[in-house]
Amino acid sequence: MTNRSTNQRLWFYRGLTLLVTALLAHLLTIWAVPRLIMRVVLQGSAAQSLNMHNQAAFPPPVTAKSRAIVMPSPDLLYSVCVYDLSEGAVRVQAAPQLPNYWSIALYSANSDNFFVRNDRQAAGKPVDLWLVPSSGAPAQNQVPAGAEVVVSPSKTGFLLMRVLASDYQTDQAVLEAGRRTLRCQAAGTL
Amino acid sequence: MTSSKASNGKRWLIGALLYLGAVALGVGSALLVLKKAPWLNPSVQVGPWRVNLHAGSVDADMYTRASVAVNGLLALGRDETMYFIAAYDDGGQALRSNCNYRIQGSAPAARWWSITAYADDMFLFDAPNGHYSLNGDIAKRSAEGRFDFTSGPTEQPDSYWLPTPGKRGMVLTLRLYNPEPALQAAPQSLQAPHITRIGECQ
Repeated sequence: MTNRSTNQRLWFYRGLTLLVTALLAHLLTIWAVPRLIMRVVLQGSAAQSLNMHNQAAFPPPVTAKSRAIVMPSPDLLYSVCVYDLSEGAVRVQAAPQLPNYWSIALYSANSDNFFVRNDRQAAGKPVDLWLVPSSGAPAQNQVPAGAEVVVSPSKTGFLLMRVLASDYQTDQAVLEAGRRTLRCQAAGTL
Repeated sequence: MTSSKASNGKRWLIGALLYLGAVALGVGSALLVLKKAPWLNPSVQVGPWRVNLHAGSVDADMYTRASVAVNGLLALGRDETMYFIAAYDDGGQALRSNCNYRIQGSAPAARWWSITAYADDMFLFDAPNGHYSLNGDIAKRSAEGRFDFTSGPTEQPDSYWLPTPGKRGMVLTLRLYNPEPALQAAPQSLQAPHITRIGECQ
């Protein structure tokens, strides 16, 4: 009788640990997926080929061949930069004088969109951001005059500039000139 | 002695296999949830369209964050952009690229909008005419201000056509840039575009 009850208890605990293992694996996967996908975005072959580490890059307009990031919008012209704050602040500047929608969005290493500035908010003024990590407050004397301090939750992250391009062929010159005002540079290289 | 060792080894092997199975079950169920129920998370249904209220937000729970990373990476928060996704037509049938659909609606309360067709891998169809989406700038409207276009394998007469070659699942994404505050606060107030199947699927 005792042996039987000990055996039953043993099987119960074995079943329980299997269940807990499955649950932990499930939760860990859910937690890790956005971070792993972002790691591919930040360090993958597309990032390498566009050479966008602390540097703005200007991919061509979206087509059916654009397969680096899911759900690309064919109506937007994207510009990108992988920022890396491990060596210090990164300065982001842009002055796109464009008649339609544009925005600059920042994403942390877990994929959260923690900052966005669009054309209406910019109200015709240039965007000038001084991007710093959450671990260290910037010395005020380092922040360039007029720049806005933005704290990134992670040391690395992604900048995505969207420019509305309903008719890229017709407006190509204006759109390209506008988006190519984007600068994304480590403070040490300024 | 040898038989006891063999029996112990067998027990360890079964134990290891059971734990590996548990890990596979955990990982597999997570991926299944993210792929097959992408908009399972806090969302609002308006007609055939579903919008996730926390997409792109720092307030997103871990399921929403992971689901958005898999199905719509680098989304913006709803004060900037709202993404309404339709995976079914008005009749409740799953959208298929080998079926023709008519999409009709009124311009949503936003600064700018577009509707894009994506294959079930969330990338664009290889449209031979280069039409991947319809947006508010190019949509022709009726006297009542309504737009109307079609998607599918066959071009319909007098219609802006989004080709969807192949035989696979698909979704339509309605993007609203700078939506009006009232719509942000009450996404269910959207006058949802209708998605109606035309004839039989090919």
